[in-house]
Amino acid sequence: MEETALKAKLKEQIIQYLNLLDIKPESIADEEPLFGETLGLDSIDALELSVLMEREYGIKITDPAEGRKILYDVNSMAAHILANKPTA
Amino acid sequence: MTRVVVTGMGVISAIGNNLEQNHQNLRAGQTGIRTAKHLDSAFADTFLFGEVSYSNPELRDRLLFESKSGLTRTELLAIMAFDEALSRSGITPEQVSALDTAFISATTVGGMVETEAIHGGANTNKLPSEFVNSYRSGSHTLSIAQLYGIKGYTDTINTACSSSANAIMLGARLIKSGRAKRAIVGGVDSLAKYTVNGFNALQIFSDEMTSPFDEARKGLNLGEGAAYLVLEREEDAHGKSIFGEVSGYGNANDAYHPSSMSPDAVGVRGAINGALHTAGLHPEAISHINAHGTGTQNNDYTELLGFTKIFDKIPPYISTKPYTGHTLAASGAIEAVYSLLSIFNNEIYPSLNFKTPIAGFNSSPQTVYMQNVAVNHVLSNSFGFGGNCSSLIFSKV
Amino acid sequence: MFIKDLACISPQLTFEGAFFEQDAIIHKGSQYWAVEPSYAGTIPNGLLRRMGKSVRLATGAAMPLLTKWSVDGIIIGTTDGGMEDCHRFLNQIIEYNEGTLTPTGFVQGSPSAVAGGLALMAKNSGYNNTHANKGLSFENGLMDAWLLLQEGAAKSLLVGNVEEISPAQYRIETLAGFIKKNEVTADVLFNSATAGAVNGEGAAMFVLDQVPENAIAELVDWDMISFPTYEELTAKAYALLAKNGLTVSDVDAVMLGYSGDANSDDWYGEFTTRLFQNTATIAFKNLFGESPSASAFACWYAAHLLSGKQAHAMSVIRPAKSALRTVLIYNHYQGKQHGFVLMRSV
Repeated sequence: MEETALKAKLKEQIIQYLNLLDIKPESIADEEPLFGETLGLDSIDALELSVLMEREYGIKITDPAEGRKILYDVNSMAAHILANKPTA
Repeated sequence: MTRVVVTGMGVISAIGNNLEQNHQNLRAGQTGIRTAKHLDSAFADTFLFGEVSYSNPELRDRLLFESKSGLTRTELLAIMAFDEALSRSGITPEQVSALDTAFISATTVGGMVETEAIHGGANTNKLPSEFVNSYRSGSHTLSIAQLYGIKGYTDTINTACSSSANAIMLGARLIKSGRAKRAIVGGVDSLAKYTVNGFNALQIFSDEMTSPFDEARKGLNLGEGAAYLVLEREEDAHGKSIFGEVSGYGNANDAYHPSSMSPDAVGVRGAINGALHTAGLHPEAISHINAHGTGTQNNDYTELLGFTKIFDKIPPYISTKPYTGHTLAASGAIEAVYSLLSIFNNEIYPSLNFKTPIAGFNSSPQTVYMQNVAVNHVLSNSFGFGGNCSSLIFSKV
Repeated sequence: MFIKDLACISPQLTFEGAFFEQDAIIHKGSQYWAVEPSYAGTIPNGLLRRMGKSVRLATGAAMPLLTKWSVDGIIIGTTDGGMEDCHRFLNQIIEYNEGTLTPTGFVQGSPSAVAGGLALMAKNSGYNNTHANKGLSFENGLMDAWLLLQEGAAKSLLVGNVEEISPAQYRIETLAGFIKKNEVTADVLFNSATAGAVNGEGAAMFVLDQVPENAIAELVDWDMISFPTYEELTAKAYALLAKNGLTVSDVDAVMLGYSGDANSDDWYGEFTTRLFQNTATIAFKNLFGESPSASAFACWYAAHLLSGKQAHAMSVIRPAKSALRTVLIYNHYQGKQHGFVLMRSV
């Protein structure tokens, strides 16, 4: 899947998995830190996002430190998916 | 005001099917954590568990009751420990059924241990399983009340890992207020696919033996078990063997996060200080601490931090979770039993699997068995999800 | 122990609604869904997104009270808290064969998530407890609160209940015969002569302290018994009254937990016949439905009646001859756990 489409899909999936009420995909910037001030996600959300990566893209995140880098923002998530599953 | 004393105790865990067996293994520093034999879960081979050695059929065989169907593992374990506590306390069946006898139990998994049965009942139109009355937390309490003819105050506490500590606290308070003369208090939890998967989803299992308060600690091992204490007024306990007194108790909420603890140990300190306050003791009076010590990064750091803020000199502290695993709702009661054994026998059991102190703290748990040591007041901690922090103090009588 | 303030989200317009000013909602069938308010302003979206229904109902009812009153602790009675969350997690386990699972259902489904969540939102670090004891959970909460207050360990407390209709649990209970299979309207519920009760949901929250001034009603005493005979049950009620210097004739009305279940409603008939043949009798489950801690809704209803509000005609089984000053609530759950709450006007 091509990068822009992937990022758009990721945003929808993030909203769905985390049940982010009243947040539209377009309001999540690609480079906005997911665990920063605006979205305010926490450690349980990080676990939920790991599950998203595994269920939707077959990518297992086993190392929490690596996980923090991969889940930093939508850009990093997309990059990791494309690097590890080119046919996504 | 009356003093609340413990005249009976019963326990079943990975280190023994009764009080005597548990005691022997504590003294010997012998863990009960191993590969699970009875647990029906894909994780039974991946992780180590503190499993009770009896299978469900074996537990059922040991019951003296006629009707044994519909009893889940949770109920079976509870009955074993409950029965032992009663027989050790010498209270009569008439007293058990008296209107001024209270029964306060605790569990988190309850009947959810019957995962497939519940799933089947909820998602198909199968006829209800034999366990249909046993699903809820309060079910096991009701089963025991029915089996033993308990007519007084009954209650089931569910505050995750601090549940049975809260049950013990409530029983003591009931007796002090005069609303009950005696109370059988404690809790139970059984290994279940439900909780195994829940904790796995939170990624707090260790794939090795749990090592509380160690710098390299990786997480917890799940355990199961049950323990009950018989609490009575001191004036009613003449001529009985008294294990100790429930002299202090405190509960406070962290109010920080659903499943992790505040960096300032707010709940930890609130609970410990509350217990010291009700016991009328200064920190220096505490001879020994049975810590919550789950072996997770978060708990052990926060608990130790709490200790350093309260105690000028931290007394010998251990976690008994490397023996039994984390028995969730039962942990408060099981660890109460172990604290009272310490007091009664003037000994301190070794904390297992410890090598290196947590960075930033120059502190180690007690790793060597100590005997002939005056154990006058023991602090026992239990901290649960939802920030629920409870501490109990037991004292020599 | 006195009720200083109270709030209730229920199958009626009890939350900032005109419950006492207009006709009651007559529910049909065996699921009495709660009338939920908008939570905008009470619960931030960041937290609301994670909440299962129980946590949402309890938070919606409790937060306005916690914002207005400073309490020293939070005590909740609930059978199972977020049962639907539990089932959701359970289904994941089966569906994904114990693979990688999302933890939210597990954490939020636990009964103690309600009291824990309230402590978190209100930043309350005081005493916190959850009673998950089926039909006695609310009475347990009252006892717990009273012990703290009279020990001097707290000055005021939030005590309440919450129950949700979990579709999964509903299926199990209907199959087992605890919930009515045939459709009946609430106004004729007690004449249905069929097995099963109707499933209600909601949360009733109370701010309790020991100061009579400005109180709405008094919680005089409470008691409970499990698996009683009729004799043991009536002896309990009698003893509860006597302990508080009262006899049967001092009770202006009994509020009874008639549920429409032909298999267990005769407890209430027996109770009335033996002790209260001439006493005003009020029901509450044709308004609020049945749920294990339903006595909390009775308590909410009785508190309002004791402060001068009129009972809905639909709930009156035998009318009162004068204003209510003393009310005895008797409720059981599936005929096994029986609870009493004695209340008085202030």
